[in-house]
Amino acid sequence: MKNRVMLCREGDIPEVSARGFDPQRQGIDTVFVVKKDGEYFAYADICPHYGDTSLPWKKDTYLDSAGENIVCAAHGALFNIRSGLCTSGPCKGDALRPIPLIQEPDGSLWITLED
Amino acid sequence: MNIIGPDLLIFGVDDVNACREFASDYGLTAEGEYRFLALDGTGIEIRAKEDPILPEALGTGSMLRKTVYGVADQATVDAIAAELGKDREVRTLEDGSIESVDDHGFVLGFQITVRKALELPAEAINAPGAPAQRDVNTVAVTKQDSPLPRTLSHVVYFVPDAPKQEAFYRDRLGFITTDRFTHVGPFMRPAGTQDHHTVFFIQTPPHMKGIEHFTFHMGGPTDVVTAGTKMVNKGYQSFWGPGRHIFGSNWFWYFKSPFGCNMEFDADMDLHDDEWEAREAMPGADNSQVFLLQYREKWAPMGPPPPKGA
Repeated sequence: MKNRVMLCREGDIPEVSARGFDPQRQGIDTVFVVKKDGEYFAYADICPHYGDTSLPWKKDTYLDSAGENIVCAAHGALFNIRSGLCTSGPCKGDALRPIPLIQEPDGSLWITLED
Repeated sequence: MNIIGPDLLIFGVDDVNACREFASDYGLTAEGEYRFLALDGTGIEIRAKEDPILPEALGTGSMLRKTVYGVADQATVDAIAAELGKDREVRTLEDGSIESVDDHGFVLGFQITVRKALELPAEAINAPGAPAQRDVNTVAVTKQDSPLPRTLSHVVYFVPDAPKQEAFYRDRLGFITTDRFTHVGPFMRPAGTQDHHTVFFIQTPPHMKGIEHFTFHMGGPTDVVTAGTKMVNKGYQSFWGPGRHIFGSNWFWYFKSPFGCNMEFDADMDLHDDEWEAREAMPGADNSQVFLLQYREKWAPMGPPPPKGA
């Protein structure tokens, strides 16, 4: 069975910023969404280096200071915001797992959870 | 070589303000414009990655620019300068310290140590069969406890050739291997300390070369968990821990950080002398910790009884 979960509304994520979400109510963010150039990109909050650790050092700290890369704070891996590809760091050549994002006409952002 | 241990780590970071806030919340004290120090005067220096005063970056994205070792005396500084000067440039800086590189290009400094002698009690425990370590009516913990890092403890590096790195630190700087993980690398201590390790080298592909984590010694396991809990309560995210390692026996709690590496709290590390014979074990979760705890937001068994029936 599939459940749709609303993450937020478009306006909740300012341009060139990111936000983490806990759609399965696990107590930790498991998905994050980046807004860049008016587009939204969602990924699982798992660094491919070890495959089971999350990226930020503090809630929502997914981007570098210039807003040009996604950063993993464990060992400084950098990821392309659009492709999720790791361009520098321990998991260079690996990629973040993209999460299909559903944008409704009313401006809400949703993902589908697999049971 | 009477090298005592790391005095200072110099970083060139992406987000200076985030790093300063992190260092402060970790418990280090701001000193001057760039430094954050532990109680004994060891610490870290935080500069913007573009700062021209910094040694060159490693080219892998690692933000560590220099490791400065504290040594016993000027004779040791001179001896290191003579040794390293045999096959590489050794510069004497304005402050009297010397600067060179190891065989992987990590910039090293050596100075007469800045470490101040600390006179602080270790965590005291009471145990049946042993004399009480705390006086009667002396309580161990309060909700207001705010333990501070005491001294810069150790640094872990990703290196593309761990045997080569081990040979350099052993043969050129007099470090001693205390234990090793097979196919990974050695834990090493310099001759001027009995701490189980001040460095651990991890064999990795060349593009990972850099710092894996750094840590300060705390006053005991309760300090580690108290300090880590304060970090969690401020919104910082745990990477690994709290737990207790096997090699070194040190308690640990690692946090992700804006320094592009993990930052750890540790306590109660084993001490060794030259009689110790290095152990070797396969790497992995089984040999990395005797136990691993997981943080849970406050809870106590005080709710209503569970519902009756199946």
